[in-house]
Amino acid sequence: MNNEKGAASRVHDLVGALFGFFAAVMLATIRWQIDTSGPDPFYKGPSIFPILVLSLMLLASIPAIWRLFRPPSSAAWYLDGGGMPVKPAIVAALLVIYIAGLVYVGLAAASWLFMFVCLWVVGQRTPVKLLGVPTLMTSVLHLLFVNVLDVFFATPVLFEFFME
Amino acid sequence: MLENLALGFSACFSPGNLAGLLFGTFVGVVVGILPGLGPMVGMVVLLPFTFALHPDVALSLLLGVFCGGYFGGGIPAVLMRTPGVPSSLVTSFDGFPLTQRGEAQTALSAALLGSFAGGVISVFILVFLAPVLSHVAASFGPPEYFAAAMFGVFLVVLAFRHRLWQGLLLLGLGFWISTVGIDGVTLSPRFNFGTYAMQNGLDLVPVCLGLFGIGQTLILVERRILKTGTMNLSRSTLDFSKLLVVLRYWKTMLRSGMIGTFVGLLPGTGSILASFMSYDVARRFSKNPNEFGTGTPEGCLASEAGNNAVPAGAMIPLLTLGIPGDALSAVLLGVFTINGIYPGPLLLVKEPLLINTLYWSIFFINIAAFLMLAIWLRPFAMIVKVPSSLLAVIIMVMSIVGIYAVNTRLFDAAVAIAMGVLGYILLRLKWPIVNLVMGVVLGDIVENRLRQTLSLSEGNLSILFTRPITLGILVLTALIVVLTLVSDHRKKTRGVVLKSS
Repeated sequence: MNNEKGAASRVHDLVGALFGFFAAVMLATIRWQIDTSGPDPFYKGPSIFPILVLSLMLLASIPAIWRLFRPPSSAAWYLDGGGMPVKPAIVAALLVIYIAGLVYVGLAAASWLFMFVCLWVVGQRTPVKLLGVPTLMTSVLHLLFVNVLDVFFATPVLFEFFME
Repeated sequence: MLENLALGFSACFSPGNLAGLLFGTFVGVVVGILPGLGPMVGMVVLLPFTFALHPDVALSLLLGVFCGGYFGGGIPAVLMRTPGVPSSLVTSFDGFPLTQRGEAQTALSAALLGSFAGGVISVFILVFLAPVLSHVAASFGPPEYFAAAMFGVFLVVLAFRHRLWQGLLLLGLGFWISTVGIDGVTLSPRFNFGTYAMQNGLDLVPVCLGLFGIGQTLILVERRILKTGTMNLSRSTLDFSKLLVVLRYWKTMLRSGMIGTFVGLLPGTGSILASFMSYDVARRFSKNPNEFGTGTPEGCLASEAGNNAVPAGAMIPLLTLGIPGDALSAVLLGVFTINGIYPGPLLLVKEPLLINTLYWSIFFINIAAFLMLAIWLRPFAMIVKVPSSLLAVIIMVMSIVGIYAVNTRLFDAAVAIAMGVLGYILLRLKWPIVNLVMGVVLGDIVENRLRQTLSLSEGNLSILFTRPITLGILVLTALIVVLTLVSDHRKKTRGVVLKSS
C-alpha cells in the first residue's frame, strides 16, 4: 500500500517539473551558453546535441508538469513515510563546511572535526566511537594521502595567517 | 591466442596485480555483505586510489570489488533475508527458508558454489566471444557506433520502462552533463556559466562517486541498524561436505551461468534480471519445481550463478565496442580512458597482455572470493553488525579526500557533494539512477558519432538504413522493443482475466 502511495506521490511530479524547468531555462539561454559561431552547417556544430537532449528532458517532464498543476483526486504529498530528511541535510551541510575546512584548517583538523560532529549528529555518541574513530581515521587519511600517495594539500589559510 | 593467455597468466601473478586482486576482492566481499552499500560504492571509493596504479593492477582491484560484491551479497540474503546487493534478493527466496530449517550451511554452499560457477563460466564465454565480437566491430564506422550506442540507450530505457518518463528525464540529464565543458571538436565552451572550473567539464568520477557513494551514505545516515538476531551459523567455516550435495545440480549451474553472461552482455539489463531469469529457468527445468520458494539449494545456486556471471558478461561490450553494459562497467571505462586506453575493436590487438591479464584476474578473483568466504565465513558474516551510520561517515570522508586527490581540485569534491544530494533525492524517490550514469557515459559516444554520421551523410540520417550492420542493429532494437511491449501487454491482459475470473 505504501509503495503504491509512494509511486503516485506528488513529490515525483514536483521533481520532474523542476528538471523540466531547468531544461527549459537551458534551452532558452542556449545561445548565451554555447558559442554558436562555429562550423556551418548546423549539424556539425556544438549545439545540436544539447538542443536534442534538453528537448528530450522538456518533453519527458510534460506529464509531471501536467499532474503537478492538475493533480488527480487521489494525489498526495506522501512519499515513503521516511519523514523530512533532517539528518541527511545536516550531514550534507557539514560536507560543504568540510571542504571549506580543508582550505582553512587543513586535512587533519578538518577531517577530525567533521567526523566528530557527524558521528554526534548520526547518534554514534559513545566516547570510543566519538573520539577513537575520528582519531584513527584521520591518521589513516594522513598516512594514505599525504605519506603514501603524496597528494598536495595547500598550507591551511589560518596557519598562514598566524605564521604571518 | 594461447601465447597471449600464457603471458596474461604470468602477468596476473605479478606481486602488484595479485595484491590488487586480493585487496579488491576483500573490499568487494565486505561491501557486498553490508546491505545498502554494494560493489558500486566500493568501486567509486577506491577509484581515486587507482590513478596512482598501473592499469592492469587498477582494473584487477576494481574487478575484485565488482565480482567480490556479488559473492558477498548472497550471505546476508541467506542468513537474514536481507540482500547485500539487490540481485541477491532472489537468493533469499530459498536461502532463508533453508536457514530457518537449520540448513544454512547447505544454502551457503549452494550460493557460494553458484557464484563461483557463474563467474568461471562467464570468463570462458568472455575469452571466446570477445575476439569474435571484436572482429565484427573492426568494420564499424561512425554510423555503426551510433546505432550500437542507441541500442544501449534503448535497452536502458526499456529496462526501467515502469518509470519511463523519469528514466528519460534522467537519461537526458546525463546526456546534458556529458556536454558541459569545452566541446572537443570545435573547442567552444558549453554550459560553463562563465567559470573556469567548469571548462574541464564534469568528470565521470565525481559524478559517479557523488551519485552512488555519497548519495547512498546519506541514505544510510537515516536508516535503522539491521536486526541481526536471526543470524545463525553452526560453524565458522563453510561445511565443505555440503558442496558435494549441491554439485548434483551441475546442469542448473551451467545454464544459469550462461544466462547471466548473456544478460550481462546487454546494456542496461543488470544483475537483477540475470538472477530472476536464471531462477525462473531453473524452476522450469527442475525435477521438483514445487520446492522453489520453500527452500531448495537449487534456487540459491541458480540465482547466484546468474548474478555473478554478469560482471564478465558486461565486460564483453565494454572491451569490444567501448560501450559499458552497466554503471559498474562504466566506472571501469573511466579507468581505461584515464590511462589513455580506449576500449574498442582494436583493444584486443593493441593491448593483448592487458586483456589476457584481465581474463585471468577475473578467473582468480572468483577463486579468491570463494576461498575467502568459505574459510572466514563467520567473521565476514559478523560485518553486518557494524553500525551503518558509522560506516557512512567513514565512507564520506574517504570519498571527499579521494576525489580531491585525483586532480587536487576542490571543485571535484564540490561536484561530488552536489551529485550526492541529487543521488540521495533520486534514491529516496526510487528513480532509475542508472539512466543518469549511462547518459553521462554514453553521451560523449552518442554525440560524437552522431555528428560524424551527419557529416558523413551531409545531414541525412537515412544513412543508418543503407548500411547492413546499422540496419541490423536498428531492426534488432525495434524487435526487442516490440517483443517487450507485447509481453507486457500479455501479462497485463492475463492479470485482468485472472482478476475477473
